Amino acid sequence: MPKILLVEDNEMNRDMLSRRLQRKGYSVITAPDGEQGHLLACAECPDLILMDISLPVMNGWEVTRLLKTNDSTRHIPIIALTAHALVTDRQKAFEAGCDDYDTKPIEFNRLNEKIDNLLVAKKVS
Amino acid sequence: MNLQNLSIKRKLTLITMLTSSAALVLSSFSFLIYDLISFRHLLIQDLMTQAEIIGYNSAGAMEFKDVPAATATLSALTAKEDIVTATLYGRDTRAFASYSRLNKPIGALSPQLHGNGYRFDGGYLEVFHDVTLNGEHLGTLFLQSDMRQWSLRAKRYAGILCIFVLISGLLALFVSSKLQRVISRPILHLEDTMRMVSANKNYEVRAVKSYGDEIGRLIDGFNTMLAEIQQRDTALRGANDELKTRTRELEREILHRKQTQEELLKAKHAAEEASKAKSTFLANMSHELRTPLNAIIGYSEMLEEETQESGKSENVQDLRKIQTAGKHLLSLINDVLDLSKIEAGKMGLHLETFEVPPLIDEMVTTLQPAAAKNGNVIKVHVSKSVGAMRADVTKVRQILFNLLSNACKFTDHGTISVDVDPRSMAGQDWLRFSVSDTGIGISPKQKGKLFHEFAQADASIARKYGGTGLGLAITHRFVQLMRGRIAVESEPGKGAIFTVELPAHVVGEAPETPRPGGVNDTATSFPEPKKHQDTILVIDDDATVRDLMSRFLAKLNFRVVTAASGEEGLRLARQVDPIVITLDVVMPDCDGWTVLRKLKADPFVAEIPVIMVTIVDNEAMGLDLGASNYLIKPVDRDRLAVLIEKHRGARPSSPTDGGTVSQISKNQKTQRDSKLRSSGEVNHAKDLVGRR
Repeated sequence: MPKILLVEDNEMNRDMLSRRLQRKGYSVITAPDGEQGHLLACAECPDLILMDISLPVMNGWEVTRLLKTNDSTRHIPIIALTAHALVTDRQKAFEAGCDDYDTKPIEFNRLNEKIDNLLVAKKVS
Repeated sequence: MNLQNLSIKRKLTLITMLTSSAALVLSSFSFLIYDLISFRHLLIQDLMTQAEIIGYNSAGAMEFKDVPAATATLSALTAKEDIVTATLYGRDTRAFASYSRLNKPIGALSPQLHGNGYRFDGGYLEVFHDVTLNGEHLGTLFLQSDMRQWSLRAKRYAGILCIFVLISGLLALFVSSKLQRVISRPILHLEDTMRMVSANKNYEVRAVKSYGDEIGRLIDGFNTMLAEIQQRDTALRGANDELKTRTRELEREILHRKQTQEELLKAKHAAEEASKAKSTFLANMSHELRTPLNAIIGYSEMLEEETQESGKSENVQDLRKIQTAGKHLLSLINDVLDLSKIEAGKMGLHLETFEVPPLIDEMVTTLQPAAAKNGNVIKVHVSKSVGAMRADVTKVRQILFNLLSNACKFTDHGTISVDVDPRSMAGQDWLRFSVSDTGIGISPKQKGKLFHEFAQADASIARKYGGTGLGLAITHRFVQLMRGRIAVESEPGKGAIFTVELPAHVVGEAPETPRPGGVNDTATSFPEPKKHQDTILVIDDDATVRDLMSRFLAKLNFRVVTAASGEEGLRLARQVDPIVITLDVVMPDCDGWTVLRKLKADPFVAEIPVIMVTIVDNEAMGLDLGASNYLIKPVDRDRLAVLIEKHRGARPSSPTDGGTVSQISKNQKTQRDSKLRSSGEVNHAKDLVGRR
């Protein structure tokens, strides 16, 4: 069962998305802010991380940068989730090292597809 | 002192004196010379006569060698004071007898003295005379005179002459110094007058004319000149005063304008600030609204899945309705967010190169279900030469999506055609995307509002057709961002053709930061985005009217462009994209009715409101031909201002290059007409404004 770490500060979104992912057969662990997300990622070594960008304490870009510079977590694919569909955000996501990018509101099927793709790619590599 | 620089007074005196003195001296001198010459001649004659008498008297004495008698005869000469010596020489040339006043020694007779004659020697006059008796030569008489009388006379004459010249010179001086005034006084007076004029700049002074001579004429001329100068001076002063007054007025006007300008600038800044605040607020609000909406949609989707699994199918429909409503709300919020981003200038372009044909296929595939829903067929024609383009693919996709979904939505059992052609304009490659439908069409009035945000007119139609009323506004803004243009051609009941032209290689950077409110933005941003005040075109053959209108409208802060003829007006209407055109009827070559007809027939400018401003009272005709308002001259300015403001407020984003709008074929039209519902078209058309 693939393990997904969801870092999201909004409680409802966190609850909703984690439940939907669980229904799809993923094991989900959650963190409400960037710092905890970073700690959990290092401790649990999930198969994939869904990273909200506007996070308290430490924002999504910083967490991603930290994880991608750490040898033990570099391999974990990260999908950035942002509310702003701005070009700059998209560039920032890839610059920070995100593997993929999706905008809120989440279209679950589209996100699910992206998760699947990344997990398959990871397995292949 | 140089003679030439002497005053005219002195010159005149001097000239008179010198002239008269010179004449006097010359004549006196001539007279003196003449007199002296005559007197000398007289003296010679006299001396020779005496020599003859003495010679005659002495002849006997000589014959008889009687010396005492001869000496006595000679001594008679004592009475003659001027005779210095008298000598009688014998035939042997030795002195026979002599007389000398000064007891001078007597020499022998000079050999060259013989016969009768005279000579001047050493200041003495010497006379010699042959003494003969009965034809026999006895000797020679020699008389020497010192010409005392002559020199005495010469001296006296010279003295008299000098005195005479002196006296007459003084007299001449006196007379000339009196007489010169006749000439010098008027000249000096003229000089004084001139000095006074130039010193005091007083041109009212006049020189007094004394005589009718040349100087008199000179004074006349001078006075005439002064009068002229005075006249000009007065005129100049008048003009100067007027100029000063005007300058002061102008300064006041400039000051006033500056103040107005500052106020306007302040107002503009305030408006911009307010608009920015509005955009930020909208963006924040949209974000805040989306977060809970996210949860609503997500949970309802999840619930739907769960409900379906547990077999409670009666709840599934309700849950779907929640999702649909939520998604509708979300799209509305997204649109608002998009618009506010565009308005805040935060909407950037993500340029990439992509193939156009697959994109069209993708869009058609996406919209196939929407087309099928109303029984529509989508026909695609992509020109073979269409390949890749460089643009923001997301925005191109959204533009096409909006146009196509609109076409699907407002067409019932009809045909929707998508055409893509390459075009070359102004040395640039362009792509023309045209989406035409056979739907309900749009009325000219509605066309104006088509690209206008929040222009949904009728809620019932919005319910019927759905949409947020922002789709075309966003489409328009996206086209603008990519420096393209969008145009629409449509008639109620006859379908619509939307044409979008985009550069094949879009250049980054938005053409302009959309203005606050965005209401007045022109849809056309090609070839150069125009950033200007709202323009009003005034078409009138009367220059005064043009001038008055220009001033008045400029005061209202409009940019005013004027045309003196119908043709020029038609040309300028296309060129300057005015928000309102004011049009006179009575014009020489091309009258206002013709101009109006042509304006309304030109898709470029058909939507620009035309206000007729004329003396011809035929409002019905004007409105029939498509004028928006009709004002009779003289114009009620307040009314005109109100009308223009009204049009400005309602200003549509003007449609673009009409030349790009394809013509609907007759065939298509008939086909479409048959499918159109006979009633309610206009109302539907009205609500197309809000369609997306």
